[in-house]
Order: sequence, then C-alpha cells, then structure tokens
Amino acid sequence: MEELDGEPTVTLIPGVNSSKKQMCFDWGPGEMLVCETSFNKKEKSETVPGCPVIYIIRKDVDVYSQILRKLFNESHGIFVGLQRIEEELTGKSRKAQLVRVSKNYRSVIRACMEEMHQVAIAAKDPACSRQFSSQVTILVLQGRLDEARQMLSKEADSSPTSAGMCRILGDLMRTMPVLSPGTTQTLTELELKWQHWHEECERHLQDGTFASSPHLESLCKIMLGDEAALLEQKELLNNWYHFLVTRLLYSHPTVKPIDLHFYAQSSLDLFLGGESSPEPLDNILMAAFEFDIHQVIKECSIALSNWWFVAHLTDLLDHCKLLQSHNLYFGSNMREFLLLEYASGLFAHHSLWQLGVDYFDYCPELGRVSLELHIERIPLSTEQKALKVLRICEQRQMTEQVRSICKILAMKAVRNNRLGSALSWSIRAKDAAFATLVSDRFLRDYCERGCFSDLDLIDNLGPAMMLSDRLTFLGKYREFHRLYGEKRFVDAASLLLSLMTSQIAPRSFWMTLLTDALPLLEQKQVIFSAEQTYELMRCLEDLTSGRPVHGEPDAQRLQDDDIETTKVEMLRLALARNLARAIIKEGSLEGS
Amino acid sequence: MFVERLPDEGPGGQHTEVSVINTVDTSHEDMIHDAQMDYYGTRLATCSSDRSVKIFDVRNGGQILIADLRGHEGPVWQVAWAHPMYGNILASCSYDRKVIIWKEENGTWEKTHEHTGHDSSVNSVCWAPHDYGLILACGSSDGAISLLTYTGEGQWEVKKINNAHTIGCNAVSWAPAVVPGSLIDQPSGQKPNYIKKFASGGCDNLVKLWKEEEDGQWKEEQKLEAHSDWVRDVAWAPSIGLPTSTIASCSQDGRVFIWTCDDASGNTWSPKLLHKFNDVVWHVSWSITANILAVSGGDNKVTLWKESVDGQWVCISDVNKGQGSVSTSVTEGQQNEQ
Repeated sequence: MEELDGEPTVTLIPGVNSSKKQMCFDWGPGEMLVCETSFNKKEKSETVPGCPVIYIIRKDVDVYSQILRKLFNESHGIFVGLQRIEEELTGKSRKAQLVRVSKNYRSVIRACMEEMHQVAIAAKDPACSRQFSSQVTILVLQGRLDEARQMLSKEADSSPTSAGMCRILGDLMRTMPVLSPGTTQTLTELELKWQHWHEECERHLQDGTFASSPHLESLCKIMLGDEAALLEQKELLNNWYHFLVTRLLYSHPTVKPIDLHFYAQSSLDLFLGGESSPEPLDNILMAAFEFDIHQVIKECSIALSNWWFVAHLTDLLDHCKLLQSHNLYFGSNMREFLLLEYASGLFAHHSLWQLGVDYFDYCPELGRVSLELHIERIPLSTEQKALKVLRICEQRQMTEQVRSICKILAMKAVRNNRLGSALSWSIRAKDAAFATLVSDRFLRDYCERGCFSDLDLIDNLGPAMMLSDRLTFLGKYREFHRLYGEKRFVDAASLLLSLMTSQIAPRSFWMTLLTDALPLLEQKQVIFSAEQTYELMRCLEDLTSGRPVHGEPDAQRLQDDDIETTKVEMLRLALARNLARAIIKEGSLEGS
Repeated sequence: MFVERLPDEGPGGQHTEVSVINTVDTSHEDMIHDAQMDYYGTRLATCSSDRSVKIFDVRNGGQILIADLRGHEGPVWQVAWAHPMYGNILASCSYDRKVIIWKEENGTWEKTHEHTGHDSSVNSVCWAPHDYGLILACGSSDGAISLLTYTGEGQWEVKKINNAHTIGCNAVSWAPAVVPGSLIDQPSGQKPNYIKKFASGGCDNLVKLWKEEEDGQWKEEQKLEAHSDWVRDVAWAPSIGLPTSTIASCSQDGRVFIWTCDDASGNTWSPKLLHKFNDVVWHVSWSITANILAVSGGDNKVTLWKESVDGQWVCISDVNKGQGSVSTSVTEGQQNEQ
C-alpha cells in the first residue's frame, strides 16, 4: 500500500457552522457552490434558523491575476511554437531549438518576476537603504567581483588608511580565474590556476593583510569559501540556494552536475541550521538538483497554486524525450494530464479561455472532447463572442456544438424579438423546426404591421430557403412583393397562385394571399389568365367551404366574421369580373 | 541568475488555492435544500423550505435577485436548469407533490406548467440531454417516476413508471446522449436514433437503469445491487468519449460506489467502493468534464475525489464548514480503503 503523500487538505467555508447541518453543493462550469442545508427532509421547518448564504468557490483564482495574465499570454505563444517545431529536425539543430524555447520561457518568467518585484518594492519602505559595506558584500556574494572592485577602489581613494588593503583585495578579485566562453582552456588547467589563486588568498589571510579591517577580512574569507564567514551573511544571502551558489563559486567552481545535490542538501541543512524545516519550494529545488524529473513534477503539483509551471515544463521535457509516460486514466500520459488541467483552468476566465483552446488542440487523447465540453459553457454575452466561439467550433468540425450554440442564440434572439437574427442563427444551425417557428413569426408580424422586417436577410436566403417549407414560403412570398414592386405583374401573379396550388403556403395565410391578388385583379390590363382565375376561384371556395378549419385555430376569424364575409364577397366579384375579361381577351384575335 | 522567492499571498504566507469568490445572501427564510448554477455559471437558482424558488444573477461576483417564485405549498427539494437552447427554463419539485416548470418570457419569470401526477413528495428532477428534446424526469416518494416531454405550444406529455422503487424514489439522473453507430450528418429535421436511458435510486436500496423501447415505453433494463440501505443519490457521469459508462451512487449505508460498464461487452456493470463514510451520504455530483466527483456527507464535509494512476479513487480535497481558510493541494497518494 502506497504511503499517502500528504493529507487531502481542508478548505473551511466561513460562517457555516452547526453540528446538525450538512453542506449541499453543485458544480458550475468553472466553480462550485456550497451552502448549508439539512438533508434529512422533514416537512416541518427547523426552529434553529439556517444560514441563507450560498458560497461560490473556485480553485485556480490565479487565472484572474493581472500580473500573471501576461505570463499566460506569452507562454501560450511559446507553447504553440514548440508544438509546431519540425519533427524532422534531429540532433544538434533540434537541441538548439529546444534550448531556445527554454530560454524564451525563462525570459518570460523573468519579466513576470521583475514586475512582481516592482510591485513588492513599491510596497516596501523606501527609507531603508543599504550601507556601503553591505553593498560590497552583496556584490561579492553574487560573484560580481568587477563591480565590487570598483566600489573598493572608490573606498581606497577616499580613505588612505585602508587604501593599500583595498588595492590588494581588489587585485585578488581581479585575478580570480573563471571559465570564459570561447577559450581553449581545459577544466584541469582552470582548476590548477584556481588552486593557486585560492592559496594566494589563503596566504594573505594567514599573513594578516586585512587584519585591521574586519570588513575586508570577512570579504577575503568569503572569497575563500569559508562556510562560517558565509553563514554570517545569512541575511544578505536570503536563502539557502544563494548560499549554495556562493559557496560553490568560491570552493568548488568546477563542480560536476551529478555532485550538485550533495552540496545542495548540505547547504540547505547548514543554512536552516535546524531552526526551521524545508518548505515546499525547497523540496522542488532539491528534486531538481537530483535531476529527478518525476519528483520535480510531483512536488510542483503539490506546492504550486496553479498548473501553469508544471504543465509547460512537462510539455517541454516531453519534447526533449526526457519523460517516460505514466499511464493515467485522464490523458494517456503525464504531459496530457497536466495540460488538460491547465487548459481547464483557463476556461474559467472570460477571455483567457481562448488560450485554452490551443492547449486542448495539442492533447491528442482527450483534448477534443474536453474542448467540446468546455466551449459549450462559455457565456455568449455578445454577438462578437458568440461568433468567435462558433468559428473555433467550425474550424474543428464540432458540428454538434455549432448546432447547439446556434440554437441557443436563435432562441435568445426570438425572445428579444430580433427575428432576423433568430432566422440567420436557425439557418446556421440547420434547424428546420426553429426556422419554421421564426418564419411564422415573420409572417405574423407582416399581417399585423403590413410590412416585412429584415428584408435584406429574406431577400438573400438563397439555397437556405429550402431548410423548411415555411421558410421557403416566406422567401417566395417576399419575392412576390418584390415582383409586384417592380411591376412585373404577370410573374407576380403566377408566383402568388403557385404558392397556394403547391401547398407551400399555410392555409391560414391563404386569405392574405387572395387579398394580395385583389390589386392584380383590378388592374386595367388582364393579368390572371382564365385558367389561373379558375384556380383562384377554386382556392377561394376551398377555403370558405372548409370553415372552421381543423387544427388551425384563428381567434381573429371568429371576431371578424363580418369583415371576412365582405372580403370574400369582394374577391368573388373581382374574380368573376377578371374571368370575364380574361375569356374575352383570350377569345379575341390580337389587335382587335 | 538568482531565483527570488515570489511575494507570498494570503495570511500566514500560504498560497490559498481554493477561494471563496462570491457569497450570495439568498434571504431564504428557512433551510435551503438545493442550489444550482445554470449552464454558464451566470445564474443561480435556489430553493428552500420557505416554499420559494429564487433566481440570482451572479456575474462578476455580484448578486442580483432576478425572481422570487412562489407556487409550491411545501418545502421545495430540488431545482434543475434546462439547456439554454430551450430558453430560460427551470424545474422545481416539492413536498407538495408537485413539479413546477418555470420559464422566462419577456424578461419575467412565470409558471409555465404544473405537474400534479404524484401521490407523494417529489424528491428529484433531472432534465434529459438536450439532444432528446425537452424532457424532465421526476422521482417521487410514491415510488413512481414520471417523464414530462414538451410537445410544443405549451403542451407536455406525461409518461409514468409506477412502482419504480418500492417505498420511494429518491434520485434520477440521465445518461449522456450517445448516438449508436456512426454519426452521419442527418438531413435537417430528422433526429438521430438515440437510445434514451436514465438511472434512478430508491428506498429499496437499489439503483435501477431504465431504457426507452421503440414503442416509447420505458423498461427497467438493469438492477444494480450493492447498497444495504436507501440509495440517496445517483449521478451518471458526462461522456468523455471513452467507451465506458460510469455512474456514482450514494446511500444511507454510508457507502459511495462507482459503477462502470464497458459498453463493448454490453450490460455488465461492476461496482467499486469509493469510500465508506461514517454517516449517511446524501449527494454525489460530477464536474462537467467528469474528472472529479464531489460527495456530500452527513459529516459536514464535501469531499472531492479523482481517479488516480492505477484506477484507485483518491480524495483530493475536503471542503468543510467553519472559520478561516486553509490552502489545499492535489496529492497523488492513496487513501486507505475500509
């Protein structure tokens, strides 16, 4: 049985407190709700008043940090670039590329840290400035010997008594052997030189060269890597890994990577001095010094408050082929598991979710389905946002999501009476039923107001018109109006008639259509042919004899019986007259 | 390059990972029984023993009361949001034996339908996957489960499964929509042939799986037996594209089981004990990507569970009541199973 790495930690919800109550909860898309309740369902209410407050809690609030936002954005670019690196690149060129990626990440991290530092400094008391001696010591501790030497020479100029000592120490600083890039010097040669230099420093110490200046003597001891001297500067060193670096610089400058962890461990122990215990960050670094990748990832997952670092690191290591996969249920390997966690966190943010899309794209096992589940939950607060989401879905052939989102938007538009919008969304969703519903609304609007809204849309339906019968009718009916407007009466008339005879027009609309025919019947010239007139008459009789029409309740009809009767009479008259004229016209020769 | 320790956030120098980002004062005058976020996390519905259902807009950490819905004559046990493609629709069920469906029309919330077909308290309501249409399952203490299907123009069709569970039904949960066979783009207006299924839990200590037959009738497909006391809640996990189906059930007996079925083999469901708690477990629920299960127990905690490397379920967080806040973390260790 595996040991538990750490107890599952507890989050206490403030204010909810009772020994008799429980907590009910629900998942939101990116958060959780909890509230006090009593699951023991009793009809009578409790005498003890409950807590009426609901708490909305979230993990990963870092996603809302302003400073980290830049980090998320920039690292996203680097991540995507890394995924697209040519697979064919091998050996040195590939390695060089990967190193470059690492450096890019590091510079982005550094920029973020500097920004945080600025914020921290701004909060600090500006009055505390360091003393001269501390400044020099810091420089020496950081191995910045040139700058330290410059400060010392200034000191030498201003204080003749210590001038000699300053110069000697400065010389020692100047002559410390370092490995410079591009030289042909071997490590052994360097070690030898360094040994000599080290002995020279030691001699000065023994001879008491700096005896009269405790500060300079202390500096010399530091440069000899004297542990005690270094530990005296604990405050300036700040933490054990600074101590480690300084210590190694001045005692084992050519230390091999595999030996690092020994020095790291002892540095940690010496620095803490048994007064405090290592913190989670310390564990991460120790694992890193041991080059134990899995341990680093594990410690990071535990210690860090979001998945950003460990996800990007693991991804890079995977590209370097340094990672052996564990088999996990979620994500077929560690890399994917972590990327999925990170990306899911991004979706909790109202705009960073767009970055998350790319991360899901590069998770071959569960990325697509995770994206499908998350993207549907993005609130479509503006048209722009909705279009953005749709574009993403369409690019990935997520047809179900496209359909679902379009339906949601169509419904919303109908509720807000934006019929044109509703229609275009239902067309995009290929939703025939909804298209019918919206078309009905258009037609109803027309009947009430006598004009169409959103003419542009209806005029340019094109093949989308075929989506539903009602939509086709709407399009054709509008076409009829257009033809009429262009005075192409014969075409308009044929169209009007065909709408009824082809059964595309709903019966409830026939009266309107017949009424539309009236002006055509009463034109000077004969427009409807005799045959067409017979057809119209048949439609009228069909309509009037069928009253009341089954399944098409029309309240108006009952109220306006008088109007209806008058209309029917008018139509009959007009039709009869037209029939007469048409027969005469057709029976006559041209010109007579 | 020197690594600097980042400025610590939060009290005591610890990183707070789970934070309370909003508190909504519902002003319910009595015990709250359920709270549900809508699809987008922008609205919150709550219901209470004070017989009301309330809806709040909770965007950007705020709270605005949108509706205070009255209509039930007893404590309201559960609320459930329908899929947004049907508009803003909320269902509620109550001790008063009624199920009420509320809808937002022209900016105001109103009762749009009332279902009174049960002889006893209705304990649970759950909307079916939107692909099936607008269908609501209701489980009642009279042992029956009713299914309400919206057929258009304000009309709802009712199908009832009598004696689904002896003594009473406590919970219902739909299976995610999965199209059998290949998903060919159907011509518009034609619905693919979905096999509709849901799970229910009852006072007969059973979890039952129900399937809709071709003739439209509902038939009991499976009995899942493992609990030794009333089943209080069931939750069918969302589909993540894997061939397995997963259901969580919790019971008066303090146990939570995870049931899995390898769909390739057909109908064999195997239970795995998640944990045995010391008290009744009332409520289980899956996160939207189904990778975390939240469990609410009589011991005043909500615990979060995740499946780890070797198929064991691991508790990753405890959400507890009390004062103050403590940092949380994800572990990859194992919990002792009893």
